[in-house]
Amino acid sequence: MHELRRLLPTHESFHKALPFGLAAVDSHLAEGGLAGGALHEVVPAMQAAFPAALGFLTAFLARLFSPAPLVFVMPAYTRRRHGRLSGHGLHAFGLNPARLILIETAHRKDTLWAIAEALRSAAPAAVAGLIDRLDLKTSQKLHLAAGDAGLPLLLLRPAPTLEASAAATRWRVGAAEAARDRFGLYARPRWHLQLERARNGRSGEWVVEYDHVAHRFSLAAALADSAFSRGASDGVPGQNRQNLLQAGRS
Amino acid sequence: MASQAKTAKTSCKPVDPERPFALVVAGAGGPRIAALNEAAEAAGLAIGEPVADARAKADFLQLHAVDAAADDAALRRLALWATRYTPTASPLCGDYWSEDNGADGVFLDIEGASHLFGGEESLLADLAARLQRFGLAARLAVADTPGAAWAASRFHRSPLLVLPSGREAAVLADMPIAALRLPSETRSALRRLGFKTVGSLIDKPRAPFAARFAAELLRRLDQALGRVDEPLVPTVAPPVYHSLQYLIEPIDTATAVVARARRLMQNLVHVLLRDDAGARALRLCLYRVDGAVETIDIGLTAPTRSVDHVARLVELKLEALAAMEDAGFGFEAIGLAVTCAEPMPARQTEFTPAEAGDRAERCAALIDALRQRLGPSSVRRLAPVASHIPERAEILPPVDSTTSAWPEPAQPRPLLLLPQAEPAEDVMALIPEGPPRRFSWRGVTYEVEASQGPERIGAEWWHTSQRSAHSRASGNSCGSERQYALTRDYYLVEDLGGHRFWLYREGLYGRETAAARWFVQGLFA
Repeated sequence: MHELRRLLPTHESFHKALPFGLAAVDSHLAEGGLAGGALHEVVPAMQAAFPAALGFLTAFLARLFSPAPLVFVMPAYTRRRHGRLSGHGLHAFGLNPARLILIETAHRKDTLWAIAEALRSAAPAAVAGLIDRLDLKTSQKLHLAAGDAGLPLLLLRPAPTLEASAAATRWRVGAAEAARDRFGLYARPRWHLQLERARNGRSGEWVVEYDHVAHRFSLAAALADSAFSRGASDGVPGQNRQNLLQAGRS
Repeated sequence: MASQAKTAKTSCKPVDPERPFALVVAGAGGPRIAALNEAAEAAGLAIGEPVADARAKADFLQLHAVDAAADDAALRRLALWATRYTPTASPLCGDYWSEDNGADGVFLDIEGASHLFGGEESLLADLAARLQRFGLAARLAVADTPGAAWAASRFHRSPLLVLPSGREAAVLADMPIAALRLPSETRSALRRLGFKTVGSLIDKPRAPFAARFAAELLRRLDQALGRVDEPLVPTVAPPVYHSLQYLIEPIDTATAVVARARRLMQNLVHVLLRDDAGARALRLCLYRVDGAVETIDIGLTAPTRSVDHVARLVELKLEALAAMEDAGFGFEAIGLAVTCAEPMPARQTEFTPAEAGDRAERCAALIDALRQRLGPSSVRRLAPVASHIPERAEILPPVDSTTSAWPEPAQPRPLLLLPQAEPAEDVMALIPEGPPRRFSWRGVTYEVEASQGPERIGAEWWHTSQRSAHSRASGNSCGSERQYALTRDYYLVEDLGGHRFWLYREGLYGRETAAARWFVQGLFA
């Protein structure tokens, strides 16, 4: 009985996948969503796309409905380079900032330790972190730790070249023109999403947008009307428009 | 009960201990001797003697000025070391140091602790032996009151004395007035009136003394005789619960220390359980063989009784501190004290499945561990502040502080805020109030595709210290004519690549400034 009880929660959480709620994206993933107890990498497509990558990661975290806190591990240098997470910005993203535990580390060693410690405790709902260098062995360790804890571990990897890693998925996120309402005002962020690697899944490419009120992802192509309306009124089609038209080609 | 150790004064410069040596303090009518060694005593010098006389009595007299701060620190260290006997150790220092009041000892409250050493006599013998090993000449006395112990340790023939209970008056009677810890004016006044010993004061009517002398005299007398209480001020706050272990073999490895700490915590858990309490703050004291004491403070986010958790925190702290590196000959005693306890109702842990309470506990444990290793300032949360100025609108308080609810954002707010607004160069915008069409930031030029704004945020004029970002960025701290920060117009702009920025123009054309400057403050996802 004792043994069963011990096994039960881990068994459950291990298989719990976290779907995007988008058939187009979820069908590319083996579990029908991001695996619960696994390592996932989010890579900015270029340096300027760092906020976009962070936004995608945050949107994913905001969709985890759980009273448990979220742990965010950031090395101290990123604050100077990219700025710090803003509570008002997070709140506008549909993520209650009070849920967040922010950890600032001085060394890479501390970053890895803090991530492993957060996973080991199994206290948070998810662990997110930023690591620039990550060798295969370390990524394997982190992946296993995430599996043991049954928690998703999302790592932001702002590195120009990436090594092989044990991550279950790797997402390359680029900036995309925002969705606007009919007055041309900023409504929802959009990202160019590229599923570069997926264990037991297929790679793909989409432009998705995120609705912070409904905590919902949707494909930008489906809302092409509102996207074009502003472009038409402007009369200046951006080069990004080409990307939008190709959206959802998957 | 109290015991008293008279520390030998030491100096940083090499001193020949065989020759007369004295410490000098400035006094009325020139420097006077404050402390001396045995050789000086043999030469006929005495404490309080003018240095000029002393020089005449002893050849090769070595003199040093008293370093009161070092004395104070040494005494505090000794008091900390003495907590191996009892948690309440109080050094006699702080207010003033002079040859009269002899602020040179330590009070130990050994009530309830002496039986652990087999009685007061054996505790005193143990203490004397250890102090001698450190090279300290000590005079010790045990008495019912701190005053009597103070007097006995200084004016009794025997350097090691246990004063029987109720015999204070009899023993003190023969002692000089100085045994009452009185200021020198009171002492000389009493001497002029013909009072030489404490005994001559004890049975006299009190009213004339109360009228003639400050309340000090009768208070000191009463304190010595136990008629009024004299509370001791301990060096470190006395713990709520305390567990101490003496080791037969000194230990010097982190693993051993952790194992001992675990054992001590197990002892404490019984007491904590009995009182339905949990530890919020703990202090681990490692008593080194050579008398130094390492203290490790452990703070906890939530009250705990978990032995594993405390052991792990000790382990993390030892790693971070590298306290083990200078363990010397090892630690001979180890003490764990609960310095702050909070009510913590007993909870059945065996049959309850993992639920909310359990998670909160794990979360607190995680925060404790992170803090212990990374430092308390590196684990934070976000909290809103009632301000419209974006860089003032939120703070990062420690994670266990309570925060107010976040207001619903009326306007878009960026996900990332730059630590400081950075100037945007080469901004092309319509004057006076147009959005930017092109700007450069960090060496990259962005063509603005769409913009939204302005959102006008006025300066908080009631903060005079709030300087404009302009004067900050240009390093022009004189800030010239402007006293207050300028009004800002915020724009959310998107470039051709879909990157979204939060820019603002500082200053209103014509009214506040002739040439407005642009700054990038945040990045939208």
